[in-house]
Amino acid sequence: MMTPTHFGILLVLSATALEGFGQVLLKKAALVRSGKGSWRGLGLMFFALEALVYTWSLRYLDVSTAFPLSSLSFAAVAFLSRGLLRETVDRTRWVGVLLILAGASLVALRA
Amino acid sequence: MTGNAKAPAKLVLGLTLAVVLDTATQIVWKSAVSGVPDQPSLALTVAAMLHQPSSLLPGVLVGLLMGGQFLNWMTVLEHADLSYAHAFTSLSYVTVAAFAVLYLGESLDLVQALGIVLILAGVWFVGKSGRVAVKAGA
Repeated sequence: MMTPTHFGILLVLSATALEGFGQVLLKKAALVRSGKGSWRGLGLMFFALEALVYTWSLRYLDVSTAFPLSSLSFAAVAFLSRGLLRETVDRTRWVGVLLILAGASLVALRA
Repeated sequence: MTGNAKAPAKLVLGLTLAVVLDTATQIVWKSAVSGVPDQPSLALTVAAMLHQPSSLLPGVLVGLLMGGQFLNWMTVLEHADLSYAHAFTSLSYVTVAAFAVLYLGESLDLVQALGIVLILAGVWFVGKSGRVAVKAGA
């Protein structure tokens, strides 16, 4: 059975995924030679959707929970830029991502 | 980081303003959402808000704060590396939590506070690593 808090956490997680995809799309716009506008537009649509989903999450969560959890977008960006843009993510950055994952878990655990 | 140990006053001001605007945005955003009365459906919520236009004001304020944040951020980036500036603004994880406790009556326990400290450390590590890959990706 999903509690309202769990639902709120799920919404923030979705918002961070949208942020990750939005950033990848903006970077894609910077990389391509033609059709920059379409990638950029698509990226902005993801950010707009993210704002809506985050707003919805605030219905269920304290902002002192939701905002720290939004730091998971760093993890989303690291995974997606590696997976979709073939960027290299060095060890220091992975350490950072792990610390953020650990920190966000602690925040979510007590939500 | 760019190597100069002393950050210019303008940069310090810009970074501080970035944290202040970040914090204000989150606190107002949360208050705006909390202020919306419960309705059985999203359509009814929207209808109720349109019926009373003053209920849209906090949302407009969030938009204005985000606009200000964007303009300030563009100025900050003129004076500092992204990794440095971005790591600095992670301080807003602390200020947002603090203001949420003080002004919105939210509670935060030691475990969550520790979580926020880990997040700060994580953001610092993410920013510390090199920011430009030599190999061009596509």
